[in-house]
Order: sequence, then structure tokens, then C-alpha cells
Amino acid sequence: MSENNNSIRHILIGVWTAAVLLFVFIPSATIFLASMTSSRYFTFPISSFGFDWWSKVFNSLEVRALALTSLSIAATVTVIAVVLGFFGALAFARYDWKGRKLYQKFILLPIFFPQSVLGLALLLWFNALGLTLSWKTAVLAHLVWIAPVVTLVMAIQVYSFDPSLEEAATDLGASRWQTFREVTLPVLMPGIFSGSLFAFLLSWGNFPLSLYTTGADNTLPKYLYAKMVAGYTPGVPVLGTISTAAAAVLLFGGYAAMLFLTRKRNAAS
Amino acid sequence: MTGTSEPILRLKNVRKAFGNLAAVDDINLSIGEGEFFTIVGPSGSGKTTLIRMLAGMERPTSGDILLRDKRINDTPANERPTCMVFQSLALFPHRTVGQNIEFALKIRNVDPATRAKRARELMQQLHLPADYYSKNVTLCSGGERQRVALARALAFDPQILFFDEPLSAIDYKLRKTLEKELKDIHRETGKTFVYITHSLEEAMVMSDRIGVMRRGKLIQVGSPNEIYSTPRSRFVSEFMGDVNVIPVESNGAGSVRSQTLGASFKVPPAAIESKAQCLVVRPEFLRFLNSPSDAQNSLKGVLYNEYALGSRIQYQVRVGEKVFLVEKLRQQPFKGKLDDEVLIGWDPENSILVADE
Repeated sequence: MSENNNSIRHILIGVWTAAVLLFVFIPSATIFLASMTSSRYFTFPISSFGFDWWSKVFNSLEVRALALTSLSIAATVTVIAVVLGFFGALAFARYDWKGRKLYQKFILLPIFFPQSVLGLALLLWFNALGLTLSWKTAVLAHLVWIAPVVTLVMAIQVYSFDPSLEEAATDLGASRWQTFREVTLPVLMPGIFSGSLFAFLLSWGNFPLSLYTTGADNTLPKYLYAKMVAGYTPGVPVLGTISTAAAAVLLFGGYAAMLFLTRKRNAAS
Repeated sequence: MTGTSEPILRLKNVRKAFGNLAAVDDINLSIGEGEFFTIVGPSGSGKTTLIRMLAGMERPTSGDILLRDKRINDTPANERPTCMVFQSLALFPHRTVGQNIEFALKIRNVDPATRAKRARELMQQLHLPADYYSKNVTLCSGGERQRVALARALAFDPQILFFDEPLSAIDYKLRKTLEKELKDIHRETGKTFVYITHSLEEAMVMSDRIGVMRRGKLIQVGSPNEIYSTPRSRFVSEFMGDVNVIPVESNGAGSVRSQTLGASFKVPPAAIESKAQCLVVRPEFLRFLNSPSDAQNSLKGVLYNEYALGSRIQYQVRVGEKVFLVEKLRQQPFKGKLDDEVLIGWDPENSILVADE
């Protein structure tokens, strides 16, 4: 009886899991399918399959320029956000100082701003300062939102950091810098790694902040949106698929690299 | 072995205050070269703050800490020739056993071959298998991690080794083994060990001398035997295992009187003091009597319960409201059953008068 119940429960759990996965991945799969058409417009079911639009996208100079802009923004944002977030996380979770409680609340506020409002506010602010809008102002805009996220992600790692590790290193004769290089930095590496992944992916896919702050430069999400609103071609789902796949490769590749390094370290010194 | 050697570490009126609270209050102490000195106290007694000042992780509010007559109050931890084994052990989780042990040598730019040689020597000395050298330290068991932490501190070659309750999270049996190993290492290296613990039992096993701390003050310093047999206060006597404590007042002429028991007891004449006092008798000095004349002090009670403690058996005897603990060796004959009326007694020379504090 109970065994029977158990197997029913297992089946139900399986069905539920499959349903959730389907719900999550059907949109991406649909976009992939939409990119495979050889006709000009998106009709379903697809009448003729082909990779025409894939080759058009790959050969398009415009798309290359867009990808380069998006990449420049994401890479710059990642580097700055990781540096800010690392020290921000130490202040957030490692050290006790006057005003820490207040800082912990304020640093998280930008995350809860609606991004389109934040983008507009930043646009007004950049105008007031007389800055020419370009991918560089977009970097600043992304940072306002992404640096707090990265700080939070890294703070989780810092919370699990035993402060006596630093004391032990100092006690064994290490200077502040040696302690930082030999202990603090390597122990917090997983946090830095996940922080930079977050930074890169959030910046790469960001639309609402880029919409207001890139000026003459154009990013992939902005271009895709514009194409959706006016001038749809199957190039849109192609780019969407590529973008999603690139993010997945980055995520899983990074995870595999991390796992490999840990294994290697455990296997031999 | 005690107090005869040259002092390596001296504390003069050392005090550490956090706000209005003195965590460590006016400590004077001298620790000899090569001594195994243990500071014992309950949590909150200030012992951790004290050892952190000695290791250089806290700065005293006032007073002097002298290492070989040199004042080191303001010397940071990384410039002191001392080393500490932490309560959490603080092993570097991203490093192998070998890299952990070699850390101090790497900081000093010792070449890798010499470093590895020294690490392997220490691993052998501390009974760590040689193939652990390249094992990640997080994969080691509790006892192995203790040994790695000790090896890492020894590799530093410190003049004094500090220990901040490193064995507190270890199970009983392994702790007993490690206590003895630690004392063996102390003999082999001849270094000065300063150990803190909340367990007087642990202190007894290992130490040359013990200092008992309470509320930031060092209330008694002495050899394990002195602390055990001549505690100066009720607190110290109760700290070392089970004791029978009877509040008494002086009767004059080698005798004291207990109000609650309505009885007088003979004590060694030299022990009489004037302030509030307690009579302390350890369970192993209490015995069952056949008649009141078998001992100079005796009481009538009821056998309430018995506890087997391995080689000894402990009995709970109730005299009115008051509970007494009586211990005897397992092989000594005794026919008493629970709820029997029994006579218990002790000799005056086996009792101590202490201050009631």
C-alpha cells in the first residue's frame, strides 16, 4: 500500500518537474525554432526550414558592431563591479563599523528601483552634467544597478568566511598584503567568480538601462527590441538564440572550469 | 619544573576594558621558560581576551606585557616570535596539508625543498601519514586537523605557543589521546606552552601550573596538585569536579558549625579563618561508616542514588535537604541499598576551609 503510494508520489514529482522545465524552456525553444525558417515572416507551423537567416546574421557587419558594443559594456561593467563589489562585500559582511547597518540597507536600494525609471533618471542626470551619451555612460548606468547585485552575491561568500583565517595568517608572520593575497583573496574566489558571472550576464542582457543611456551607440537587446517593434526579420530569433546560447556556455563553462580547478587542487598540490 | 626557570613572559597589571567593562582586570603573572601553563575559567571569564593580548591580536588598555624583558604591548602579531593554535583551528581551506604546514616558511621565503623537508618531519612527529602531504585539508578528520594546526604552528618555530581551546570540539576519547600527545610534544620540543580551556580536568592532565580566572581576574595560580588539594575559594574547589561544600561558621578551637545541618565538625586548626567560609570535602574522602566513632566527623543520611564511574562508584546521600556525594573504589565491599539509612564520615585532615566566594 505504502509502496504503491510512494511510486505514485514519484510519478507526480516527475510530472511536475517536467511541467516546470517545459514552462521555463518552451520560450527559448520556440525562438530557436523561429530562427530556422527560410521565409521572411514568422508563421507557425514553419513551412520551410533553413539556415539562411543564420548566415545573414553571421555575415552582418551591423550585428558584429552591436555585439562588440554589448561586449565592451559587459566586460567593463564586470571588471568595475567586481572590484567595487568585492570591497563592498567586505564592508557589508566582514567588518563591523559605525553606519554598517545603514550602508547595508542603502546599497540594496537601487536593486528595487524599476529599471526603466532608473534609466530615465540617469539620462536626466547625465544631461545635467553635460556628458555625451555613449556606451561609456551606459557602463555607469549599468553599474548603478549591477554593483549592488554583485555586492550582495559576494557578501554571501564573505559571510561564510572565518575571520580567524586572516588572524592565523598574520600570526604566522604574514603582512597585511600577504594575508590578502595568500588567504582572503583565494578563499573568497568562488564568490568573486559568481559575482563576475552575474555582472556580465546582467549587463549583457540589460535593455531598460541601455535604452536611455547609450546615446548613439546601440546594444544587442536595444537592437532586438527595435526590430521587434518595427521591421521584424527572422534575424531577431537568430540573435536571441545566439545570445541565450552564449550566456549558457559562459555559465556552464565557468562552472566546469571552477569544478576542474577544485578537483585539480584536491588531487595534487 | 615550576617557577624555577627564567621567566619568558611577564604580565604587569594587565587590563583590557571594553567600554566600562573590564574583560581582563589587573593581571600579574610570570610564565617560565619551557613551562606548560594553563589558564582555566568559565566562558566570559576573560581568558580568551587575555590570550589574544598575549598573541598580539588585542592591545591591553593598560599594563605591560614583557617577552624576555622586552615590552611587546604594541608589537603586532606578525612581528611577535609567538604563534597560536586557534579554537576553530583556522586551517586554510584552499590549501593542502603540506601547504598549510609550510605557510610560515613560505612567508619567510624559505626555498620549496627545505620547506617540504621540514613539513614532512613535522608530519612524522605528529603521526600524520606521509601521503597526506598533498591532501586537501578540508578532507581531513577532526583529529588530523588538530595535528595539522599544531604542525603549522610548530613550523613557525615560535618561542611561545598559545592554544585557544583547540580541543573543545573534539569527542571525549580522542580528546584524551590528543591531550597526552600534546604533553608529549611539549616534552619533545621543550617550548613554552600557554593553553586556555574551560575544563580544569584538561588543565590537570597537561599543565605544570594552572591559573584560574574568574570575572577578568586571576584568582589562584599553582600546580595542578595545589589547585586540587588546597583551593583558596569555593569557586576554585567547585571548578575541579564534584565536591561537597558546607557553609560553616567558626566555632573556635579547631571546630566549625553548620547552621543548616545543625552539627559541628572538626577541622585542622591551621585552617581556621575569620571571614565567611565553606567546608569542602571531596567525594573520595567521604566514606561509609559502621558506627559514628569510626571517623571524627560523621553524619546520618539516606542512600538516594548511585552512579557507576568506571573504576569508582559514586553515591548520592541525602542528609535532610543537603545532598552529599560519596565515592568508593569498585572493588571495596559495600552492602548498602537505595533508601537505606547510612552513616557517612570523614577525617579533619581531608577537609579544607575556603572563602565563600
